[in-house]
Amino acid sequence: MGRITILLIEPSFLIREGIKTLISQSGKPFNMEESETTIVNLSKLLQKTKPHIVMANPVLLTDISFPRETNDDLSQIQYVALIHGQIEPKVQGRFNFMLPLNADKPTLIKKIEEIYEACSIKNQEKESATLSERESTILKYVALGLTNNDIAERLFISSHTVMTHRKNITRKLGIKTISGLTVYAILNKLIKVEELQGTQ
Amino acid sequence: MLITGDMKMADVIHLNHHLLHMINRFGIQLGFGDRTVNEVCQHYDVHADFFLQLVNTFHDPSYFPLNELQNFPPGVLVDYLHKTHQFYLEVKIPEIEELIAQLETLSGIDIDHIKLLEDFFRQYKQELTSHINKEEQRVYPYVKALENALFTQNPDMSNCDNCREYSIQQYEDDHDDVESKLFDLKNIIIKYMPAPKDSRMFNIILHELFELEKDLNNHGHIEDLILVPMVERMEKEINQLRAGNTVM
Ligand SMILES: [Fe+2]
Ligand SMILES: [Fe+2]
Repeated sequence: MGRITILLIEPSFLIREGIKTLISQSGKPFNMEESETTIVNLSKLLQKTKPHIVMANPVLLTDISFPRETNDDLSQIQYVALIHGQIEPKVQGRFNFMLPLNADKPTLIKKIEEIYEACSIKNQEKESATLSERESTILKYVALGLTNNDIAERLFISSHTVMTHRKNITRKLGIKTISGLTVYAILNKLIKVEELQGTQ
Repeated sequence: MLITGDMKMADVIHLNHHLLHMINRFGIQLGFGDRTVNEVCQHYDVHADFFLQLVNTFHDPSYFPLNELQNFPPGVLVDYLHKTHQFYLEVKIPEIEELIAQLETLSGIDIDHIKLLEDFFRQYKQELTSHINKEEQRVYPYVKALENALFTQNPDMSNCDNCREYSIQQYEDDHDDVESKLFDLKNIIIKYMPAPKDSRMFNIILHELFELEKDLNNHGHIEDLILVPMVERMEKEINQLRAGNTVM
């Protein structure tokens, strides 16, 4: 799939910055939306930002119900609680994941990866036309001008497998040519225009 | 429904107005009155059988012209294909280029995205141009030399530099399609390009791309299904002529 949008609801500037650093170091294609204040109308905010993940200080969402019963995209959202200290089991039950802020870095990164995986799988089931992570990687290499053999070597897979992936990419996107795939990759920020210089 | 020579030309246009471009390429202009296809062709000095085959391949892509119906001079076909090439390179492609450039003036549009489209279309133009040049420089002179050799009953084609060791089989083997990139461009605009507030300009460009794709499809169809078999027959005749000459 493409980028995953995270809505971050947390009043502390330092914690927000910390979470952003963590997310960017995870290397996963995340988009950040921030909200620092108390939430008055969660549904409205979700409608506006359309996140896949909501990371929130649970205290801010205590009396707010999550829109899980609706059958639109919003019911697919994964809720992540940013835990400062103790948390009531009742509150805990409302979230899909807990992110203990006092954990060490490897634990935090691992947690982020776990959340990302859960999110991609959920979104894939629903929308088979989106690319898997592997397909996105291959598409990126194709756009950068690598041959099937180059890609096979880099990813330690056979060039036959690369071909299969490429067929699936073309089928899913409805784009056949390398230059078409390149435009797609740029529009979806898989690669930057500058990276192309000297490849064509 | 097969288009025939005794139909009124006006009715043909009502049946399929997409044929207008093609008809113009023969030099035929509007104002048909009640004249039939045959009468209009005669008036413009157009080979009616040839005209009918071409409009029918366009009108119904499953239409396959029978060999015995191909009783028109090869030069007429080559002239038509040449005119179509000119139409692409001198009219249609610049028109679409201009439309894409105009997107830059729209409000609320990302100029980098338009640059991407422009770049993509420039690449397409290059691809189409080299495809066409290959045909114009290699294939058409060959067909004309064959036609001339058969007409003069002289199988010596040594005055045609590109003809030695050439056969239409080579063309058949590497005649690639030029529509894939257009197909991609349509999907990029339809599915992936963030739309401006008012998508009218995008609609116009899409409409042009659909039309061009249809036209190119038909053009390739004519090359594969009419030109190639025609040249194969001419090659056979030339070989017979050569065999006959060596016997003597
Ligand atoms: Fe052509
Ligand atoms: Fe062609």
